[in-house]
Amino acid sequence: MPILEINHVSKFFGGLAAVSDVSFSVEAGSIMGLIGPNGAGKTTLFNCITGYYPPSRGEVFFHGRRMNGLDPDKVCMLGMVRTWQKVRPLARLSVVDNVMVGALAHTSSLRTARALAMDQLRVVGLDHRADFTAGGLPIGERKKLEVARALATRPKLLLLDEVMGGLNPAESAEIIQLILDIKQQGLTQMVIEHDMKAIMRISDRIVVLSSGEKLMEGTPQEVVTNPDVITAYLGESHA
Amino acid sequence: MSNTMLKAAAGFILLALLLAIPKQVESPYALHMMILLFLSISMGQSWNILGGFAGQYSVGHAAYFGVGAYATMMLMQARQVPPWIGAWAGMVLVVAVALAIGSICFRLRGPYFVLASIAVAEILRLSAINLTALTNGAEGILVTELPAFKLSERVLTDFSTKVPFYYIGLSLALLTIGVTYGVQHSKLGYFFQAIREDQDAAHSLGISISLYKNIALVISAVLTSLAGAYYGIYVGFVDPPTVLGLDLSVQIMLICIIGGMGTLWGPVLGALVLVPMSEALRSNLVTDLLVKVGLVNADSKVGVFLKENLAHAHVLLYGILVVLVILFMPDGLMGFVKKLARPRKQEVA
Repeated sequence: MPILEINHVSKFFGGLAAVSDVSFSVEAGSIMGLIGPNGAGKTTLFNCITGYYPPSRGEVFFHGRRMNGLDPDKVCMLGMVRTWQKVRPLARLSVVDNVMVGALAHTSSLRTARALAMDQLRVVGLDHRADFTAGGLPIGERKKLEVARALATRPKLLLLDEVMGGLNPAESAEIIQLILDIKQQGLTQMVIEHDMKAIMRISDRIVVLSSGEKLMEGTPQEVVTNPDVITAYLGESHA
Repeated sequence: MSNTMLKAAAGFILLALLLAIPKQVESPYALHMMILLFLSISMGQSWNILGGFAGQYSVGHAAYFGVGAYATMMLMQARQVPPWIGAWAGMVLVVAVALAIGSICFRLRGPYFVLASIAVAEILRLSAINLTALTNGAEGILVTELPAFKLSERVLTDFSTKVPFYYIGLSLALLTIGVTYGVQHSKLGYFFQAIREDQDAAHSLGISISLYKNIALVISAVLTSLAGAYYGIYVGFVDPPTVLGLDLSVQIMLICIIGGMGTLWGPVLGALVLVPMSEALRSNLVTDLLVKVGLVNADSKVGVFLKENLAHAHVLLYGILVVLVILFMPDGLMGFVKKLARPRKQEVA
């Protein structure tokens, strides 16, 4: 059963179609990869799904519920949470306080929230940084903090926007393992990533966007062998 | 003894001292200074909840101060409503005003919010000047006599000395500190700070931005209106420039900014520095001090010049000091104190 359905979603900025008539659905418990060259509309699509931009056309259904027009906080409370490509730590708060803000979405007790936050920090391997100022973390740890904070809201669908961007291979490997661990616990994920090797490894299915349009959808194997995808990424001469 | 017990003991002793002061100190001037201090703490702490914690820099807090002051004074003058009831009317009114202001200003972010907050306070000031039938316009409202405060026919106080005002001020300051503590140690504090640090990130984590900004504003505005009501009955006179002016809005903000925004003790520290400083500059204590320590001869040209001019320049000097603090202590005095206490911040190398 699909947990997320995207039906003919378009987003226009003035005359420009950043996302154009995109449809696909995400099965519960799976990982959906979202790839495409720069400017393909991946992040814009995330923004349309999570309530930051209302879609200009089309509809988004989450658990069968129409999500158009809901604010980001409502979207989160219904179980869909995103991370940010450009990380957004609550810079002057401590690492554990950052994650507590996420946990406070479903509890009012600071004690419970702190315990939940520490659990999430252990999951992503940041518990040793709990009392550090979030703004002072290096990029790899900030990315993990984004994930911990999102997980603390207890989502049913996690949308990860380039959590491996800017990381070294060892850090990327940790994140890949983390994403697979999260999947093991039954959490559905949608992942934007530029690292093709990583996306091939983690995704059950992949949607390829190019210039705002859906180029194709398929298994990782189908995607890498598709000539259109190779053209979109590398240009005509390589196809 | 544990750290918490030490803190509790220190707090208890301090409170006992504060309660005992009016019994020992008879000088009305000293009590007046303490009352100003309590008033400043209350104003700074009220602003702290919206500006310091939620990060919404309102430069229009005079609006809430003025509404509280005017409501209390108008009810007292026109309907003989005692101020301890009038202040409640002021609070109810200020909630309505705050929600109206919030619904307009919170659509805006950053500098635009600041400008909108100034504009709204100016609208109220101009209304108070022009709605003469209601507010007595620029002449202001004068109430010379307060009704005696009775508890089942027993007169507790008739407000003939500064002592009752001292205790009201102390209670108000403690109330604002207590509310701030409560905010800081609850979900609200976390949500306010999340909004301050990154509104979009906070939004994605399930925090309703408009709801929590308005909660912060209402708490802040209600406490500010109480400070306004307190000011009104203490001074016995309100007029538009003093209780609704931009000067006052800036002053309220400065107490918190200089002391340290988003900290429990910042506004207390800010008031402790700003109140004596502004008083010393105003009454030219600086010249007296320079003469006393022998740096300047009172009869020399310099001495005479200082004596004649320094008091007039107190606003200028005040401004310079404020600029220096902001330049060299960006996190306020509280941030400076914390840095001294723990020179190395916990950060990843």
